[in-house]
Amino acid sequence: MKRAYIFLTLIGGLFLGLAIIFMFFPRPSFSEVERRELKEFPEFSFSRLFDGSFTSDVSSWFSDSQPFRDDFMTLSMTIKKGMALQRGEGDDQFVFHQTGDVGADLMPGGMDEADKKAAYALREQADREIPEGDISAADGEESKMSKSGILIVGSGDKVRALMNFGGSPASGNPYVAMVNAYHQALGPRVKVYSMVVPIAMEFYCPEEARKRPGLYKSQLPTIKHIYSSLSPEVHAVNAYTALSDHVHEDIYLRTDHHWAPLGAYYAACEFARVAGVHVPQLSEFDENVIHRFIGSMYGYSKDISVKNAPEDFVYHTPKDKSYTTTFTVMDVDKDFRVVGEGRPFKTQFFKKFKDGSGNAYLTFMGSDFLIAKVETGVKNGRKLAILKDSYGNAVPGYLFGSFEEVHVLDFRYFPHNIVDYCRRNGITDFLFVNNIFNACSSGVAARSKALLTRKDSSFSLPAKKNEAPAATEAPVEDTQAEEAEDGQTSVVATEAEEEEEEEEDDDGKSVGEMAKK
Amino acid sequence: MVFSDLFFLFVFLPAFILLYRLGGWLDDRHSPDQLNPSHCWRNAVLVVFSLLFYAWGEPVYVLLMIVTVLLNYLSALWMVRSVSTRKIALVTGLVMNLLILGSFKYLGFFARTLDSLGLEVPVPEISLPIGISFYIFQSVSYLVDVYRSDAPAQRRYADLLLYISMFPQLIAGPIVRYDTIAREINSRNASAEDIYDGVFRFLIGLGKKVILANQFSEISDRFLVDGLGSLSTGGAWVGILAFTFQIYFDFSGYSDMAIGIGRCLGFHFKENFNHPYCCDTITDFWRRWHMSLGSFFRDYVYIPLGGNRRRQWFNILVVWFLTGMWHGASWNFIIWGLYFGLIIMVEKFTIIPWKDRIPRPLLHVYALLIVVLGWGIFYFDDMGALATFFQAIFGASDHPTDFTVEGALFDNFWLWITAILFCMPVRRWVSSVPERLMPGHMGIVGNITLLSRLVVATVILVISVALLIGATNNAFLYTRF
Repeated sequence: MKRAYIFLTLIGGLFLGLAIIFMFFPRPSFSEVERRELKEFPEFSFSRLFDGSFTSDVSSWFSDSQPFRDDFMTLSMTIKKGMALQRGEGDDQFVFHQTGDVGADLMPGGMDEADKKAAYALREQADREIPEGDISAADGEESKMSKSGILIVGSGDKVRALMNFGGSPASGNPYVAMVNAYHQALGPRVKVYSMVVPIAMEFYCPEEARKRPGLYKSQLPTIKHIYSSLSPEVHAVNAYTALSDHVHEDIYLRTDHHWAPLGAYYAACEFARVAGVHVPQLSEFDENVIHRFIGSMYGYSKDISVKNAPEDFVYHTPKDKSYTTTFTVMDVDKDFRVVGEGRPFKTQFFKKFKDGSGNAYLTFMGSDFLIAKVETGVKNGRKLAILKDSYGNAVPGYLFGSFEEVHVLDFRYFPHNIVDYCRRNGITDFLFVNNIFNACSSGVAARSKALLTRKDSSFSLPAKKNEAPAATEAPVEDTQAEEAEDGQTSVVATEAEEEEEEEEDDDGKSVGEMAKK
Repeated sequence: MVFSDLFFLFVFLPAFILLYRLGGWLDDRHSPDQLNPSHCWRNAVLVVFSLLFYAWGEPVYVLLMIVTVLLNYLSALWMVRSVSTRKIALVTGLVMNLLILGSFKYLGFFARTLDSLGLEVPVPEISLPIGISFYIFQSVSYLVDVYRSDAPAQRRYADLLLYISMFPQLIAGPIVRYDTIAREINSRNASAEDIYDGVFRFLIGLGKKVILANQFSEISDRFLVDGLGSLSTGGAWVGILAFTFQIYFDFSGYSDMAIGIGRCLGFHFKENFNHPYCCDTITDFWRRWHMSLGSFFRDYVYIPLGGNRRRQWFNILVVWFLTGMWHGASWNFIIWGLYFGLIIMVEKFTIIPWKDRIPRPLLHVYALLIVVLGWGIFYFDDMGALATFFQAIFGASDHPTDFTVEGALFDNFWLWITAILFCMPVRRWVSSVPERLMPGHMGIVGNITLLSRLVVATVILVISVALLIGATNNAFLYTRF
């Protein structure tokens, strides 16, 4: 009898403690680990009550926004890791999980006949030869695949998390057609450049892992195909070799799906060479470091070893501070559509983040929901517009000494007719910077192409074909908000989800599925 | 709402416990007879919370359940009031119950079947109310028990509603027979010992579901859902083995939680599982798996049809056809039921008579093989997927194995080990160890048990909470029923 009371008191006490925490402690609205906003208490309505969605949303809200959530998540991941058979030194057991191909193998819809013909015809053109790259940087390292399809390479504090690429050359065709269309529309006085950036998997996949069928798919054939299909007047920027030549440096972030600013520097140098402008040596930039950065791969991989390997986020700012930056920030609704445009204001291009911040990559402009215009002291008659995705954010900062003006436009949040914009601003050089996922996405290509013909300042962007996941799946990833140190609240859509959501339009199970797990 | 959900654990349960205790206190104060206190307030709290529990997931269909109970209540009273027409009352009640079950669960299935045979039949889209298979069967059990005078008819509608809608067993069983708990509705006692055992049992169930079943469901989904297109032979085996563990821990865990909560309230539900994967024949397996369903069909279908005295073959096939069909409105479930029915019939004449001559390990392997392949039939309600799966599992796939198989095994190594361990009657072994080591020292034995239970309970609670946070889909497999 007494034992029963002892047990019930102790366990009851533990239970009561947890219940008090879960019922009464303040609930977080944002998860650092998962980089997304957590669910809010749902709005009440009788119709939602009667169809069951209100009550199920309350349950989801309760589970999703638990106090100390991130701590419990970390504990949960540690437990899951504990279930694995610990492997000793020299043991090359690998676990892989194929998450499906990114990119359609067939010619996707959305391209009209003329585009298709043009794309095919141009493949006859001389191959824009890109030599094989150095893919041996991580050979000899042990690796394992986390549950969500991210490859974890190395151990200890040098762990690198890699996202998988499974696309095929033909999936780049819509992108090619889009770039060629830009070239047509902008006319002969604007030089058009295409930079397709490979993701880290290309160079950092260990040899053992590459040998396993179905895991590693080289991005080189796809990039080569894209470049050889572009119109001959379009300038291909070979970022692949520029990066490959420096693989032993920190050109890609280890814990994030982006490249490091240093990688962007080498790519910017290659662009400058092709464009015929000058980019200073790296030593002529100020080096800034954000310590203990843990990026998006922690949330994607749900693997504790990523959290245990924080890195230094190193970026560079021009020593010459005589440039002025003007932002025009867009109002964006919760479906990421632009619904309004703010007034331009002067601001800093580079935002400061503290050590340990998970948002270091937002250093560049702090957000994607804007048009950035940088006017420099250069006088060479050249004005650059960059149409980019999040990879492109790291590039402009190295070009402030190379062009009179640098305009940074995000293909998702640009509400104008891009041809008019370029004409009005006297753009002489137009650069596409995209990571390889987006270069293989017909959705991205369609959206970018639509900017050529849209009515200026109309705020209805083409509908996102992405559906919300079913109730039984992962919570929808939302925007994240972070107070930048200069007091501005920036809102940036978590980049990879944006990009991967595009892929889902045609590509069925894609990286987006993996990110949502 | 399901048990393995944080909202249930940390909002519903505390509120329920508080109000139930309050109700108990009120009952005790207002009871003239202290030995047999009224359960009026307690039961009211239980009914209200049970309806809330059900309505949380089915805000509209809760009315269907309330009405079903009303119809059964009236049928039983009719049976009692008028002896001459009691058979008609029984038949009417049964027909109503089966019509309700048939329309909500099987109408779409019938229509689809007729449609595929060529008849132009519109296929209605009816959503399945949660737990309908369980509560209709409990209603049938009530009517038949009253008819057979195994238990008196309920005079109070609220008490019948309590029996049927009781939240511990409403959504996913066990199928509690009316005569089991009829007395306990108005006269039950939960001592501290009962609550001690009940809480511990509940936590065991929670651990089985959250720590084991949920992890296995990730593995089985990876191979059998996401990876079906490129399923290797190794993948098929790993996937279905993961599912084998998943469904056992899911369902038996839920039954544990139900029994545990019932015990805390003073109800004594019968066991639903008896370490089914320790079986030696399929006949044995079905005496250990979902025992409440098996005994339902035995008592309410097999024996009334004549049992083993008349047309045994036919009776067996009918029971197994119905067993399969109860599990789902799709042909693969019916095939699954008949698969076992045939095997059991064959066993009667082949293995059972010779059971003592055959080494037990061999029997064990044979039985598990049949069971695992059976889960393969059970898993896929799409025939194309079913075919793909069976081709893969018997070797007709592109590759014998792939690296994902290694991953599933090595990255979850301790999970597999734990699962295999807990399929066996570990608790019985473990709890008997102190007694055998130190016979006669019941005090020390008791303390060791207490200590180990405290450790296990704490570990399960903390780990389950951690795993539940951030986990998303958590629905029990058997909530489709």
